[in-house]
Amino acid sequence: MAYLRRLPRFEYVSPQSLTEVCALIAGTSTEEVMLLAGGTDAILQMRRRERVPRRVIGLKGVAELEFVREEADGGLAVGAMTTLQTLLSAPVVGRRYDLLHETAAQIGGLELRNVATVGGNIAGALPCADLPPALMTLGARIRLSSQHGDRWLALEEFFPDFGRTVAKDDELVAEIKLPRPTPNSAGVYLKFHDRHSMDMTVVGVSALVVLGADGRTIRDLRLAYANSAPTIFRAKRAEAVLRGHALTDDGLEAAAQTACAESSPRTSWRANAGYRLELIRALTKRAIRRACEKASSRTEAQP
Amino acid sequence: MNALIPVSLRVNGVGYDIVIQPWRTLLEVLRETLAMTGTKRSCGEGQCGACTVLLDGRAVNACLYLAVEAQGKDVLTIEGPVGGDPALEQIQRSFATKGAVQCGFCTPGMVMITKNLLSHTPKPSEDEIREALVGHVCRCTGYVQIVEAIRDAASEIARKRGD
Repeated sequence: MAYLRRLPRFEYVSPQSLTEVCALIAGTSTEEVMLLAGGTDAILQMRRRERVPRRVIGLKGVAELEFVREEADGGLAVGAMTTLQTLLSAPVVGRRYDLLHETAAQIGGLELRNVATVGGNIAGALPCADLPPALMTLGARIRLSSQHGDRWLALEEFFPDFGRTVAKDDELVAEIKLPRPTPNSAGVYLKFHDRHSMDMTVVGVSALVVLGADGRTIRDLRLAYANSAPTIFRAKRAEAVLRGHALTDDGLEAAAQTACAESSPRTSWRANAGYRLELIRALTKRAIRRACEKASSRTEAQP
Repeated sequence: MNALIPVSLRVNGVGYDIVIQPWRTLLEVLRETLAMTGTKRSCGEGQCGACTVLLDGRAVNACLYLAVEAQGKDVLTIEGPVGGDPALEQIQRSFATKGAVQCGFCTPGMVMITKNLLSHTPKPSEDEIREALVGHVCRCTGYVQIVEAIRDAASEIARKRGD
């Protein structure tokens, strides 16, 4: 019985600083060395023998990677080792990034959120991860650190294909940055799953809408999807369908159909591909509509 | 590769210095090394909540936590601290008197999440109670009595405190 199996044997180290981590992963491969953030996915992967690392580098002691900070430019910086519960409880997140707050609140139960981290949810590269779609629509950039220094890239460029990231073996996700929220914007994350927040996401849709000064025209729209393709992705053609227009039923339907055409969901025991496409269509429309309503209520609230 | 790692942690107020293999989970160490079998092993995936313990006051699934990573931490389990814990005892009493226990396998985890919930939300609404229980599965009771027990525990604890 796989679920009762013990973990494979490994050697364990717990560096206390980012510099130490970078030195430890320099010249290693992700086959032999595993970075363990919260571990809520990684420990399962080891228990199922999907990953059998020779060495595990525990990151929980790297305190410098745990922060939620409002930046001078009005943006937000989040350390990779910030737990989902810490993110969720940060006043600045509740106040200015309600999309992020809502998304984190929909992940797992308290036990999982107390341990699972923002960086782990991204670096795990799972197509069912819930934070990356929300972060992508918010325009997140991530900092990859290695012994050779840092580089920044847009989160939407991070997942080339299933289970993979563009990070090199000697790099780790250290930090996530979000730009200052755009005025008249609002975002929504909707996911479909069997058992409240505890089950794997079947399909997840994040929609972020920026309304024009008239409170009706969609000046900008961003859509990103979980479990609708082998990777998390942005549906840029669907976004373009509505950009520059006021919301209409026909426009909404056309955007949802385009999003379906851009998706390539798989069939699994949770749902077959046809059913997932139907979810993508329905949730896309619902998410855009709700985001528009939210943004419009904010526009009106301003004098 | 059989390197043993020394770990110091407190469990229910008692300090332990143990030497363990790094691939062992906190759940395995509690049950097998420290012989505290109140914390249950069930799904092994963080889905059922039977293994919930409090780590520095925060609920975690002990099956998904490496014991070496509990170094220096304070663990509270269903066995309760030496010298007693009135809140924990009241929660257990409420579960018993409200019929919230049938087979009892999920109960230790349910009691621990209740302890966590009431520590920051002394008067939870039904929604807050159900929200706290999302990571817990009971296959016997249907949750109605469990919610009643948690509500009862909250009001009893408040009453005894003189609120």
